[in-house]
Amino acid sequence: MWSVVKSVLAALIGVQSNVKRQQDFSSGKPLIFIVTAIVITLVFVLILVGVALVAAR
Amino acid sequence: MAPKLPPQHPLQHSSTVVADGQSHDAHSAHPKGVMRWLLTTNHKEIGSLYLIFSLIMFFIGGIFALVVRAELFQPGLQLVEPEFFNQMTTMHGLIMVFAAVMPAFTGLANWMIPLQIGAPDMALPRLNNFSFWLLPVAFTLLLSTLLMPGGGPNFGWTFYAPLSTTYAPPSTTFFILALHIAGISSILGAINIVATILNMRAPGMRMMDMPLFVWTWLITAFLLIAVMPVLAGLITMMLMDINFGTSFFDAAGGGDPVLFQHLFWFFGHPEVYIMILPAFGIVSAIIPTFARKPLFGYASMVYATAAIALLSFLVWAHHMFVVGLPLAAELFFMYSTMLIAVPTGVKVFNWVTTLFRGSISFESPMLFALAFVVLFTIGGFSGLMLAIAPADFQYHDTYFVVAHFHYVLVPGAIFAIMAGVYYWLPKWTGHYPNEKLAQCHFWCSIIGVNLTFFPMHFAGLAGMPRRIPDYALQFADFNMLSSIGAFFFGVSQLIFVLVVVLCVRGGKKAPAKAWEGAEDLEWSVPSPAPLHTFETPPVFNRTQSSD
Amino acid sequence: MHLPWRWLLTITCAVSCSQAQANGWNMPVGVTDLSRDIYNLHMTIFWICVVIGLIVFGAMFYSLYRYRHAKGAKPANFHENTTVEVLWTAIPILILIGMAVPATATLKKMYDTSDADLDVMIIGQQWRWRYEYLGEDVAFNSNMSTPWEQIHGEEEHGEHYLLDVDEPLVLPINRKVRFLMTADDVIHSWWVPELAVKQDTIPGFINENWVKINEPGIYRGQCAELCGVNHGFMPVVVHAMEEEEFDSWLAERKEAQEQEAMGVDREWELDDLMARGESVYRAICSSCHQSEGQGALPAFPALANNQPMIDDFDWHLDVVINGVSGAAMPAFRSTLNPVELAAVVTYTRNAWGNDTGDVVQPALVAEKIAQ
Repeated sequence: MWSVVKSVLAALIGVQSNVKRQQDFSSGKPLIFIVTAIVITLVFVLILVGVALVAAR
Repeated sequence: MAPKLPPQHPLQHSSTVVADGQSHDAHSAHPKGVMRWLLTTNHKEIGSLYLIFSLIMFFIGGIFALVVRAELFQPGLQLVEPEFFNQMTTMHGLIMVFAAVMPAFTGLANWMIPLQIGAPDMALPRLNNFSFWLLPVAFTLLLSTLLMPGGGPNFGWTFYAPLSTTYAPPSTTFFILALHIAGISSILGAINIVATILNMRAPGMRMMDMPLFVWTWLITAFLLIAVMPVLAGLITMMLMDINFGTSFFDAAGGGDPVLFQHLFWFFGHPEVYIMILPAFGIVSAIIPTFARKPLFGYASMVYATAAIALLSFLVWAHHMFVVGLPLAAELFFMYSTMLIAVPTGVKVFNWVTTLFRGSISFESPMLFALAFVVLFTIGGFSGLMLAIAPADFQYHDTYFVVAHFHYVLVPGAIFAIMAGVYYWLPKWTGHYPNEKLAQCHFWCSIIGVNLTFFPMHFAGLAGMPRRIPDYALQFADFNMLSSIGAFFFGVSQLIFVLVVVLCVRGGKKAPAKAWEGAEDLEWSVPSPAPLHTFETPPVFNRTQSSD
Repeated sequence: MHLPWRWLLTITCAVSCSQAQANGWNMPVGVTDLSRDIYNLHMTIFWICVVIGLIVFGAMFYSLYRYRHAKGAKPANFHENTTVEVLWTAIPILILIGMAVPATATLKKMYDTSDADLDVMIIGQQWRWRYEYLGEDVAFNSNMSTPWEQIHGEEEHGEHYLLDVDEPLVLPINRKVRFLMTADDVIHSWWVPELAVKQDTIPGFINENWVKINEPGIYRGQCAELCGVNHGFMPVVVHAMEEEEFDSWLAERKEAQEQEAMGVDREWELDDLMARGESVYRAICSSCHQSEGQGALPAFPALANNQPMIDDFDWHLDVVINGVSGAAMPAFRSTLNPVELAAVVTYTRNAWGNDTGDVVQPALVAEKIAQ
């Protein structure tokens, strides 16, 4: 699971080594990556909202 | 618009007539003349139709821009009245966005995506025909509003309510209908592209083997499917406000004019990326070809495109920094907008690194692609400046913004389209474009574009608001330069037409692999590409991802 | 704060902060503390972009020159380097955070509208600004005063072509003035570059902004949001005065306005109303109904020889006071006072051959408004 999260985070900032990518594409099912990506996106938005709310105080 | 489309335009003629002859026996029921173009389901023919349509619209929208620039040549009202001026700025924006840039990319997608993934045609050929022929209908309707009593749309291409509802000319209902039709066309086109890419790749071609043009279009198509319905909902609410007595956007009836802007920009910001992501794909195809070196960071390009697309849904209110949002909202949208610079920067760095230690030659597609990288980046810099919310209070709705988005759309999107056309013309017509004329077109365009849009930065910073038919005397010099540049740029585009027409008629014969460094599947079919290609799926050789 | 942006900021200030007025090429430094902050942010981000641009374009043009095919360059085949990619993702993020910190601080200052010494209501209307000094009983309209003859090229352009108004907004220096901003018809945007205030005025909303001017002077701006046909002819002029001067100006205005209010009860002569009505018509009505009442179809009907209007006096008065719902004609009940309303109705009923001879008394108008 942690490796999935790491891959998604790497994708989010756009860096991922080729070796790792080959692994991901041969091993995991795509659905796991897609769900993780959606969750991480939501977390990212919430973090940004949180930062904005804190900064606005 | 149908009569304006010559049924036997030279480009279509020569790119298909040979192939037509070849495949004639297999398709003996093939209609002739106008009916052939009305009924065609061939992705190459439909691609050509899209491209010709968008070229015509590019010139119509360009003429509107020149009316604007002519009026702004000097202070004072000389040529047109403010009312007509507003119609021209509005129509210029609408035509260029919805009828020139978007159909041009769809045309390139139609031609190239099946060729690049080894598919025989688009997944839904009849739908493909329908989505194209909706466009001439939509834009004939839109242009006809200029002749209606009260004139055409005069509220800017962003058509903010209540100026576009309670205070709009009577023709606004036609404008709404036209936009609905164009929106349906976009959605259908996008569905077709997604279906093609996901289902019709050559055996052995995985997602991460697809050329970047295909990747960027896949992501663009998802953006289109996501936001076009928002636009449709928005204009339907306008329609109700205008004709059926609702008050979605009318404060007097309890409505909310700011809601309009939230909805518009929730559509509008992804729309901006719809117009630039396929351009990234084209440039990512051309630069490696002429640097004779694989694209640096293919995977990160894909991820960066996805990240830009994702972020595009989170930044809409940076167009609304001065409408009085709460502080926390301003901060959220400022931060998210600044973050877009990161994936965009990654792309630029990747292109530059692709050039590094390559073996670079400067044919016309490469020149346009290089100009794209430099000038798009300049547009990106002014975008970064606009993202700084406190400073945006000064930049907002000035010519600085006009300069910014023209830098990302003209030497951005449009240069990429032209680069793509020069790059793929040998494949379409079997002839190389005349290199001397193409280079002449390039240098004229690059001078024209900078002369037109660079002074606008200064005019905006010095305090000139956008969309005004007349201006104070301190802006006179900048405007005169811009107007001269605009006419120079406009006239230079005739060279482009000349190059294309000459290339269709003849020229140096191109082999299947027209460019030395070109790698993708489209270069494995003969030039010109026959009407039907990849009827048996090709063998896909994994060149890039295997090492 | 020992961040690099501080350092950059100092340089940029030394280079370019020498003058407070617009130099015609760049954003004006302006005359408020906030406008100075904004200018510094603008220049900082500008120089950051210049430096990044020099590095990126430098690397690009070096490669283009050094690795020309024509010179026989042999291409390398690398296409990946995770370290480099992580680096050029991380460095921009750090730069952006460095920018976000001062930007956030400035934005928070801009949003702090508390403890104002004076409240001014700014109302956008097609195509003028209305200013109301809240709690002071002073209110007036501010129309562009550049003559249309200049715009159409029949006269020389004046010095402040398109940026002159009949009555500027008068503000004191060194006092915090809060603006409450709204609009009567469509969205407008009130903007004065040297005050670094730009805020949309939106019907149904009240936006807030504020300004504390450091130097007396006349500052000019324009409407920044497309608001219809005369969007380009809706200037903003702010006259910033010393505090005592402002106080006496305000007292004078108050008195004049009271005088005007007393005029409602007096019996007016036709000639006086005609003279007054003509000036109101020029300032308010002529941008739509045109200078000779000829109108501009389809939106703006002619007033000269408009038979229904001539025949139906009550309807005419009602339209001017209450507007026409769903059409471009706004209600003028709160924009104009009863004397002005009476004068302009009298004028339109007697000018351009409409010679009805009707004299509309302000008292009657006041009564209609009260209904």
